[in-house]
Amino acid sequence: MCFKNLPIEFDAAGNATLKPGAANPYSYIETPAPTPIEDDPERMRELFARNGAVRRVDFDPVTRVAGALAFHTVVDLENRQVLETASMATLFRGYEIILKGRDPRDAIFISSRACGVCGGVHATCSALACEMAFGIHPPPMGVVARNLLLSVEYLYDHPIHLSLLAGPDFSEPAVRETNPEIWERATRTRTTGRAKHGYEFMSELMTDLTPLTGKLYLEGLHYTRLAREAYVLIGGKYPHPQTVVPGGVSTTIDASDLNEIMLRVVKYFDYGRKTAAIWDDISDFFYEVNPRYREIGTRPKSMIEPGQWDDPYADEGTFKNCDDWGRRRWAPPGVIIDGELVTTSLQMLNAGVEEFVEHAFYEEWTGNGQNQRFATDPAGNPLSPYHPWNKETIPKPTATSWKEKYSWSTAPRWDRQAMETGAYSRIYAAALTGGADFRDSPYLNSTGHSMQIELPQAALPNDPIEWSIPETWGAFERNRARAYCILYTAAIAYDNLLIAYDLLRKGGPDAKMSTPYKVPKDHQIGVGLWGAGRGYLTHHLEMDKGVIENYQILTPSTWMASPKDPFGNPGPYEEAVMATPLLENYEKPEDFKGIDVLRAIRSFDPCMPCTTHLHMDDRTITREIISCACGSDGPHEH
Amino acid sequence: MRVLVCGVGYRFLRDNAVGVYITDTLALQASNGIEFEDLGYHPVGFTQNLEERPPYDRIVFVGAVDRGRPPATVKAYQYDHVLPDVTEVQERVGDSVTGSISLDNLIIVSEAFKALPDDVWIVEIEPADETWGEGFSPEIEAKLPEIMETVWSLTRP
Repeated sequence: MCFKNLPIEFDAAGNATLKPGAANPYSYIETPAPTPIEDDPERMRELFARNGAVRRVDFDPVTRVAGALAFHTVVDLENRQVLETASMATLFRGYEIILKGRDPRDAIFISSRACGVCGGVHATCSALACEMAFGIHPPPMGVVARNLLLSVEYLYDHPIHLSLLAGPDFSEPAVRETNPEIWERATRTRTTGRAKHGYEFMSELMTDLTPLTGKLYLEGLHYTRLAREAYVLIGGKYPHPQTVVPGGVSTTIDASDLNEIMLRVVKYFDYGRKTAAIWDDISDFFYEVNPRYREIGTRPKSMIEPGQWDDPYADEGTFKNCDDWGRRRWAPPGVIIDGELVTTSLQMLNAGVEEFVEHAFYEEWTGNGQNQRFATDPAGNPLSPYHPWNKETIPKPTATSWKEKYSWSTAPRWDRQAMETGAYSRIYAAALTGGADFRDSPYLNSTGHSMQIELPQAALPNDPIEWSIPETWGAFERNRARAYCILYTAAIAYDNLLIAYDLLRKGGPDAKMSTPYKVPKDHQIGVGLWGAGRGYLTHHLEMDKGVIENYQILTPSTWMASPKDPFGNPGPYEEAVMATPLLENYEKPEDFKGIDVLRAIRSFDPCMPCTTHLHMDDRTITREIISCACGSDGPHEH
Repeated sequence: MRVLVCGVGYRFLRDNAVGVYITDTLALQASNGIEFEDLGYHPVGFTQNLEERPPYDRIVFVGAVDRGRPPATVKAYQYDHVLPDVTEVQERVGDSVTGSISLDNLIIVSEAFKALPDDVWIVEIEPADETWGEGFSPEIEAKLPEIMETVWSLTRP
């Protein structure tokens, strides 16, 4: 029984049904959000009188121009606590509306344009949704080609995050500025991973994380290039591929192409080992300096991951059999609640998803749970009126209010609980299975509490690498797990390359790249379930008369940047920042940089243009710092 | 002379898409030495692509940028290659790798990674409407021939 909040129970045969008796089983009574501190002058005065160090600090954590995310906090700088958070996505991009009435195949190319980085996986999710609706499935080589595309895409994503986005927060300039005592300690602390990464002292490693000039920063850039070079050999272009089509891939592959990809993939064997050792050293060093670094960005170990990398010999991609083919993927679907794997069933994963808009700039579309297009999914499992297949996107911009509506991101929930997702959720779920429920690989061994990865030797010794599920979960562990995912992903790419060579050698129908199809004219639905480099991604499609009736995209950062839900739960960013102690070294409030808050948010690998497909022109990073919110401005008008 | 004309922006964001519309349209007139590219992707990848190609004598960037000017203002100017401080450059890199596409980011990141030739021209168009959807505002629609001619003229020696 994987649900504790949804009105779903299971019969003796394991079939999901609605609990009997409730007339409106998915309805709920909204829990009012707490009154924001700045709207409560009495509390604000009391806090300010107590220590005078309460500040409203609004971050735009990762962007300068495009304004990916605004993040509101109220912090108590004396007690080093975050008192209030709100995560705000800032403008609506409307892909779901743009896609209505179009040929479903257009979604492959249009959804790719949501983002300047993750286009490849959007295109693939669209193709998968089309295939389910069209009743087709690619031949084995088409599946392998996609697996290769979406392993090298992740080999692009992980270095770019670790080196160019998260790494600079642990670099010499950042640490010197925010915690000079830690820098001083780094100059006399030896690393443990020197044999793999070559650094004797932590300070040397931190110096090479320096933005724009550090060797590790520039090396990360180089590895993003290798991955893109591999991608375009099949995809044609990156990040907006030209060859992803319903039924497979619209190009051919020969041994020369595979050799070119192989030459690049094997370079990640050593790079993966080295990167894992680097992030082991970073995490362990900070924990040793101050164990409270474990609390940066901490939140429950609750994660969702639809899985990826299909078994080429799973012979169909229907929804009815998705539990079977989902469990044959290299990375299994998984829902983890408080560290426990509660399901690897794609049907249950799908049935548990809902989106809420109480704190988002959208209109509620169900009439409090009364109206829904689909009472069940194609396999007969109950569906919520708030499920993506039942969702309607109705933008309704209003003034921003931290208590009412403040984001263009919806609040996705699974079993009405906030979930995070990322590269780490796939290695986490795979590790928890203990080897069950995912495709065997000679290079991966799941122990139930860790993932062992062993690849052929490159330049470094091929010692087995083991990522272990950590006791506590937070920003450092997200980064560490993502670092291990480089080698994990390289193993899957390598495995698929060997299968591709074999298919090529054998020839015949299995070596074809795509399968023919006709666009159906009757009513059909489909879903693409394939985690992006940055985590969960689904595209839910409804079509009729050959065109799209409804299309819903749910991205990783929508889950994580989400506002509060109607049950009073914060979104993952909000929750993680609330739990973050302010360990930065500042004497005066004016010196506060917010590095720990930024480390917490960046550890999620935010990809904000996908979240609401947003765009904002606010050029400020720290939008406002005021000494007391008693006199703060009112709601912002959009 | 090898010239690359780059259209920058998001499709489906009305006037923000004007840059890629211009390059889509002018690409039909591509000839020896003049290339057009849709730069609806991130600057880090663009700089790497440039490094792998034979050098261009000139690069022309065209895109919408909201700088508070009257809508449909068209400004063409030669880039001065002056970079902001390192902190801002890194912020622009961070912005880029989270998926954002913007003309300023593209030029700053490309310059920081030393990917640009000396001769770089920028054609900025002040948008009137950057909300979601297709098609341009009437102001931009009326200016399209002028923008097209401005960009095309910059492909000549």
